[in-house]
Amino acid sequence: MKKKNKLISFLAPVVSFLLIFSLWEIACTVNEVPTWFLPKPTEIFRSMVVDFPEFWPHILVTFEVVLMGFLIAIPVGLLLASLVTSFPLVNAALSPYITFLVTTPLISLIPLLMLMMGFGLNMRITTVVIQSFAVINMNACTGFNNVPTIRRELMQSMGADPIKTYLKMTLPSAASDIFTGVRLAAIFATTTCISVEYNAGNTGLGSQIIKYSQYLKTTQSFACIFYVTIIGLIMYGLISFAQKKIISWKE
Amino acid sequence: MQEPKIKFDHVTKVFQTRSQSILAVKDYSMEIAAGEFVSILGPSGCGKSTLIRMLDGIIDTTEGDIFIDGQKVNYAKKKMPQSILRKMGFIFQQPNMLPWFTVRENIALPLRVFDLKGPEWEKRVDELLELVGLTEYAKAYPAEISGGMLQRAGVIRAMVHDPEILLMDEPFGALDELTREQMNMELLDIWTRTKKTIIFITHNIEEAVLLSSRVYVMGTHPGRLVEIVDLDLPRPRTLSMITQPKFIQYREKLEGCIGEIDLSKIK
Repeated sequence: MKKKNKLISFLAPVVSFLLIFSLWEIACTVNEVPTWFLPKPTEIFRSMVVDFPEFWPHILVTFEVVLMGFLIAIPVGLLLASLVTSFPLVNAALSPYITFLVTTPLISLIPLLMLMMGFGLNMRITTVVIQSFAVINMNACTGFNNVPTIRRELMQSMGADPIKTYLKMTLPSAASDIFTGVRLAAIFATTTCISVEYNAGNTGLGSQIIKYSQYLKTTQSFACIFYVTIIGLIMYGLISFAQKKIISWKE
Repeated sequence: MQEPKIKFDHVTKVFQTRSQSILAVKDYSMEIAAGEFVSILGPSGCGKSTLIRMLDGIIDTTEGDIFIDGQKVNYAKKKMPQSILRKMGFIFQQPNMLPWFTVRENIALPLRVFDLKGPEWEKRVDELLELVGLTEYAKAYPAEISGGMLQRAGVIRAMVHDPEILLMDEPFGALDELTREQMNMELLDIWTRTKKTIIFITHNIEEAVLLSSRVYVMGTHPGRLVEIVDLDLPRPRTLSMITQPKFIQYREKLEGCIGEIDLSKIK
């Protein structure tokens, strides 16, 4: 019974995937949609394979920026949340700026950052960090603030020092909220990275999507979009894997 | 007279909220000798939980002093040192296990926090697990065992660092009646064997009479001591005593102290 369920849950998305792309393929063929307007899925997949050598360096650049920015954002967001929730003074001093960073559309900062840091990887990674650490920080703050009083009292009744309290009680209590933030940050990181590449430089998948669109090479443009999706999926998979490894308990 | 183990000397606690100050406990005094089992009985909101939280350094006092073994232990806005906290074990109303640790790790938590290392302490954990029948669940996670087992784990966690005093905040209030009776008997058994000083907080009159040697009755608005009732019932206590005339007499006396408050409506 269990095996059957597993099989179904594996097959269902595969079947629906095939169905959607078949419909797309048929619709394009029957209606004779021009390739520059909407290419057929088979053409896109073909391009993903055939033009792969051309895409590969850009895939690498995008993936590197997303991953690096994301990996820097996690400790930054977590550290800041820990400080903000532990020290009211730090909270009062920093919270306006964090709100400022969250509410400012980052796209408006890109020209400024370009001016200061150029088109290179540093500027891109910085942008990704700025955009994604804030959601980690906000969710981690929620987690830290929602630690049940009775758990705090347990640690207080033993006179636990701040570090032991943090490591043994506060951090694991907030873990699932932190992961919510990390998941959102991964999405923010990918979105931001592509936005930056649209605007700056001629490397990265974002820049290629723009380039191919301008030449009406819609098939290649779509192939790049699919590679962006794959990067997103890889990030999602990595986070799910980490979450399963780290949060092994039930509340 | 022998020095009391625990002494509350005119303790008052005022909670300051943004809009008002709430008098939670007013001018509370009591003396408890070493090895005594006393109950603090009262309805919700009478400050009984506040009392033992002040004793265990979780919240500070507003006025008055608390002494353990003649030593003043409360200082405003200052943490109670671990040397004093080590003398006490706190048992919460909920099991309050940390779900990311196994049952054994949870029970050993006070050893890690108080920095008690060595094989004798590890052996103590195993003995306590054995005492309450949790040995085979030592490696289980809290989510995997029953409420009664979890509360037993809570009791032995409070005992693992070998405290002299156990503070119990309505410890079995969340359990069903049958498990609760069984746990009360197990607790009496533990107390008889270890001779710890126990302060037992409850809103259940029968439980208070069954377990303790003396009951401090508290009233509300403000939380204060209303009456002290000494219980002259033989030990060891058994569940069959509940129907004896003397037991019923004490029960009615305590009901009278608490007054018109309908206890059935108080959770």
